[in-house]
Amino acid sequence: MREEVTQPKIVLVGNPNVGKSVLFNVLTGSYTTVSNYPGTSVEVSSGRCRIDGRSYEVLDTPGMYSLMPITEEERVARKILLEDRPEILLHVVDARNIERMLPMTLQLIEAGQPLILVVNILDEAERLGMKFDLPQLQQNLGIPVVGTVMKRRQGLAELQHVISNYQGPPPPAVPYAADLETDIVRLAGFLTADYPLGPRATAILMMQRDREVEEMVQLEEGEGFPLIAPVLHSIKFSRRADLNLQISLERKRHTRKMLDGALQQEIADHPPFSERLSRLAMNPITGVPLLLLVLYFGLYQFVGNFGAGTLVDFLEGTLFEEYINPAAISFLNGLTDIYWLRELLAGEYGLWTLGVRYAIALILPIVGTFFLVFSILEDTGYFPRLAMLVDRVFKQIGLSGRAVIPMVLGFGCDTMATMVTRTLETRRERVIATVLLALAIPCSAQLGVILGLLSAVPGSLLVWLLVMIGIFLLIGFLSAQVLPGENPVFYMEIPPMRLPQLRNVLVKTLTRMQSYFLEILPLFLVASVILWAGKMSGLLDIVVDGMTPVVTALGLPPQASAAFIFGFFRRDFGAAGLYDLQTAGLLSPTQLTVAAVTLTLFVPCIAQLLMMKKERGLKTALSIFFFVSLLAFATGWVLNKFLLTTGLLS
Amino acid sequence: MICGFCAKEIPDKVGLNSCGGCGSRCRKIHCPYCGYVNPAPGKFLERLLKSKPKKEDG
Repeated sequence: MREEVTQPKIVLVGNPNVGKSVLFNVLTGSYTTVSNYPGTSVEVSSGRCRIDGRSYEVLDTPGMYSLMPITEEERVARKILLEDRPEILLHVVDARNIERMLPMTLQLIEAGQPLILVVNILDEAERLGMKFDLPQLQQNLGIPVVGTVMKRRQGLAELQHVISNYQGPPPPAVPYAADLETDIVRLAGFLTADYPLGPRATAILMMQRDREVEEMVQLEEGEGFPLIAPVLHSIKFSRRADLNLQISLERKRHTRKMLDGALQQEIADHPPFSERLSRLAMNPITGVPLLLLVLYFGLYQFVGNFGAGTLVDFLEGTLFEEYINPAAISFLNGLTDIYWLRELLAGEYGLWTLGVRYAIALILPIVGTFFLVFSILEDTGYFPRLAMLVDRVFKQIGLSGRAVIPMVLGFGCDTMATMVTRTLETRRERVIATVLLALAIPCSAQLGVILGLLSAVPGSLLVWLLVMIGIFLLIGFLSAQVLPGENPVFYMEIPPMRLPQLRNVLVKTLTRMQSYFLEILPLFLVASVILWAGKMSGLLDIVVDGMTPVVTALGLPPQASAAFIFGFFRRDFGAAGLYDLQTAGLLSPTQLTVAAVTLTLFVPCIAQLLMMKKERGLKTALSIFFFVSLLAFATGWVLNKFLLTTGLLS
Repeated sequence: MICGFCAKEIPDKVGLNSCGGCGSRCRKIHCPYCGYVNPAPGKFLERLLKSKPKKEDG
């Protein structure tokens, strides 16, 4: 006999990896089906269960972090809430991270959902010293709360009991701060239809610029919508800068209130090392020295001294120079007597002598050590804390902590980072970040070579660093003054700090190295061919001669022109050219510093220029290109005069 | 995959996305929540990266 079609529904929601699927399997047993949600490729599991003689349909939704969907999975999960109208909504949270997850519980209460909170993984939370008073939490929230360890079915009977005795929807939501509350109530007052998420949550989502919800309201309200639109527009406009921040802070405040008396952490007086480190990393007084330590040991010592020094010396100076190069060059020269072909294979700008050697012996060890440090920092969760730390400084240059993402990625590859600037909120931020990436953020290989070369000359690295920081802040500040717009507001949920996992770090480092190598090798080979063709045709001499007056004006030897030409192909290629100049003994300490500063500031490479055009348009890209080139040489010229006059590095 | 910046779970179906800057097919996954670029390991490395699924996950 066919079961009745309109069975009451139990829907499971929650963040990913909180034990939803385990709970789903425990509730439904083997009677489950997995199918794509209509019109999407997102899988939704459904099954049935009987509790106290009553039959329910159970749906396991994809993981979601809030009612504002970002991914297709979250969109589907919300659609299920909107369209399926569950009789019981189980919000499953991980007890260990309850403070991060309760804001969504508050959102669901706000939406008037028939909610039961399932605090799962209690055993591990207790092992971490967290003591829950769940009856108190239930009283604070005003909804049923059940503690579970679902993998051991602990709490299942209580949960089933609560489901079968569930009494009505949750209490009204706790009001926000007065000014915000006034806007919410005003907008919600206009909503007359029966909304699945209730008028309050619907109004908040519209204020947060949720297009789907706004379209739904437009459809539901029909002729009444023109009354709502101007109110909505005026609220959106007046709160355009900080609405999401304010809502997030309000929910965090409510979360702390809800947990008051319901959660005791033995660690409160003596927080664990990770928590203390996290606070230290974000506090400006301790965060800046910590950042300097990270830069000193991570970049200067490990990438600069070990990667660009020891490793490159071994690979380039010993392995290639003494063993591989003589054999390879002799083999390649033995292949042919034709001069131009010999030059192409193993000449001054040959495929082997320049392309392969630069890529393998110079760049790979440097980016390898850089990516290792990068992956360790990434895996600890340091970067979001860095974003919070620099937020205040970044505000002075028209950016926010969010811009840490492209800036940090820029140290890996500026081209990729330029694309990531699209995630910044305003056009002003995107342009400023693009300028700063093109100007003052060296890519990993360039940074490694420069650190390696300059660390051998006392004072040189400090001068380079001061000039870079000075130019970064000055140009950022001036750009922020010139470009109209408001200062962005930045906030983010800070994930827990953790010990880096060796496997994660190794896999990420190797993946990045593999990508990088596969990207640069063909480009280095192409650049070698172009330079070889230039040499054979005499064009390269003309270009070098053309650049010589500029280069000599900087106090550099004419041979340095080649490094600048290399740098336009790839930043790292240029840095490798600088390495050759220095190892040939052609540069004094002052010349080395001036060359390093000018090359770092010098025009973005071809790939970055193309990306700037793609992201910011041709006019902006060309303007940045010419501005950066001019500024690089002007800075180099001034620095050379300054160093010669003061005799600082003599 | 967990995003290296915001630590949110990136759904499996979020595709690889190269920036197209260099013409190579570098394997990168852009986090839909924060925009951070995560390296996407190839099959062999991915197998190393994937831990045994915890019973509590889901």
